[in-house]
Amino acid sequence: MGWVYLILAGVFEVVGVTGMNKVAKDKNLQSYMVLVLGFVFSFSFLSLAMKTLPMGVSYAVWTGIGTVGATIVGMVFYGDAKDWKRILCIAMILVAVIGLKITT
Amino acid sequence: MNRDWVLVIFAGILEMLWAVGLKHSSNWLAWTVTAILIYMSFVILIKATKSLPVSTVYAIFTGIGTAGTVVVEILVFGEAFNFTKVLLIILLISGVVGLKLVTTDTSNKEGAS
Repeated sequence: MGWVYLILAGVFEVVGVTGMNKVAKDKNLQSYMVLVLGFVFSFSFLSLAMKTLPMGVSYAVWTGIGTVGATIVGMVFYGDAKDWKRILCIAMILVAVIGLKITT
Repeated sequence: MNRDWVLVIFAGILEMLWAVGLKHSSNWLAWTVTAILIYMSFVILIKATKSLPVSTVYAIFTGIGTAGTVVVEILVFGEAFNFTKVLLIILLISGVVGLKLVTTDTSNKEGAS
């Protein structure tokens, strides 16, 4: 169950980061709501994940999923660059997350 | 090194501290302190990004958070040192930092800084 919580924490971090980008563009209530709720859920799930998983692994995977998620959202919805260097970095993160899942 | 970079490092240290709080808090006081640390690390980070490139700031901040939690866990909380695990975390954080830095390059080309 720890890993399910951890993945949810990462997904909600992407929601929070999306909110952060919205706030940077447009400081309205809706943008702040996405930002605050995204991070509240993200930290809550991260805390649940840490009940059973080591802190270092949890934090690293949380950051990794959040970063990969935000990058993919940028590529798919906002037309960000899809160059090989970014794809390689995403692959490195995913390999590491899967490796940590297998070994933890 | 200007003052804003010091803020980034400080935010990274707070990041590491709230991670400890999330894992080890057991009463309302500890949870309150954890929530304040989370809030402060964000506020300080956002303040730093007003004058520094966001991608580089985030790469350093998250690097300190990741390395810090792993080191604190081993040194303070007696978690066993596992070579494979540490290697995988280094691979993961290289990907995260790489992604942030590569992204700076593209935005710089558009004349952001």
